[in-house]
Amino acid sequence: MLSVLALTSVVLLGIASQTTAIVVYTSWERHALVGSDVRLSCSFFSWQWTSPDVTFTWHYRPDGAKDNIAIFHYGGGVAYADNKGPFRDRLEFVGNPNRRDGSIVIKNVDYSDNGTFTCDAKNPPDIVGRPSSVRLLVFEKVPVQAGVITGAIIGVVLGLLILIVAIYYLMRFLVARRVFSLSMSKHGKKGKGKEGSQQKQALAVTDPAKLKAAASEKKKQESRREKK
Amino acid sequence: MLVLLAAIFILHIACICVLLAATIHNAWWMTDTVSTDIWARWTLGASGNWNYTEIPNNYPTEYLQAVQASSVLACIFCILGLFVFVAQLYTLPKGKRFLFTGAFQLLAWLCIMIAASIYTDIFHKGENGWYGASFILAWIGVCLTLISCITYFVLRKKTA
Repeated sequence: MLSVLALTSVVLLGIASQTTAIVVYTSWERHALVGSDVRLSCSFFSWQWTSPDVTFTWHYRPDGAKDNIAIFHYGGGVAYADNKGPFRDRLEFVGNPNRRDGSIVIKNVDYSDNGTFTCDAKNPPDIVGRPSSVRLLVFEKVPVQAGVITGAIIGVVLGLLILIVAIYYLMRFLVARRVFSLSMSKHGKKGKGKEGSQQKQALAVTDPAKLKAAASEKKKQESRREKK
Repeated sequence: MLVLLAAIFILHIACICVLLAATIHNAWWMTDTVSTDIWARWTLGASGNWNYTEIPNNYPTEYLQAVQASSVLACIFCILGLFVFVAQLYTLPKGKRFLFTGAFQLLAWLCIMIAASIYTDIFHKGENGWYGASFILAWIGVCLTLISCITYFVLRKKTA
């Protein structure tokens, strides 16, 4: 009895805590080339319906600095982009708040844009939650991501191996089937009198060199029948 | 006969151990304060603790990833070869050679030789330091897999 009560209370607590926390998702890191445009995506998960008062806020903290500055805010259906700070005229809101997307695009990135961007989303009445950060790294030449080439090489080699083994077994299966059908057709065509010799002939055909000759002979017989 | 079988089995297991140790342990190149490659770098901090850090960006990444890939493939082929050997012990007709197992060991030899050769030729030219345990084990792995491969190509299953 007590255990059932304990279990139900834990389950209810779990559900209750889930309905009051908002979870914000961004990428972990973004790599960009100098001078290119980079899209920083932000979305959230919430148990409530998307409210018309949903807000998105982006903060920026340069590498090595201690404090955040706000660079973007969306609230009450209006987007406010940075017009005084380091991103004036370079920030554009490309998200769709109705679909819980609060992404922004930063144009013409430079080395001074290296830093951490934090997205905070609030969906009233669901406002308790942790903001999520994405790190921007600006490169002159985008380096190869760790493990891409490694994974590609391993995958290709193993794939080729499996393919070769599969083709080998398929060829063996096809050859065996041809031998079987060949022996059956000879058995059925020439009747019972010459059964013994025909069976010996069919078994002798398992030799691959003779098999090709037998196969070509069968094809000639079939073409002769077609001509008739 | 059983002694020979046991010896070949132990040789194959030794190959696997050597290859796994060379691939997993990050000790291809060492200095007094650094033990590095092929996955990450251990640096000795001022307080006497070893810290696990990333390999710096000035490494040629394509070659490093090629070494990573081929050493992992060598381990995979060697382990698969063990299972194939056990399977062939039961299914091979008497008097035949263990060709399939030998093929897997040949592939493993090829891969670990590629890995060790690329590493020796490309990395740490003219630097102060010495080659670590994993590097030596990789080259020992080259020899062991070659011996194992030749054994499988020569060995025949016992005729009754």
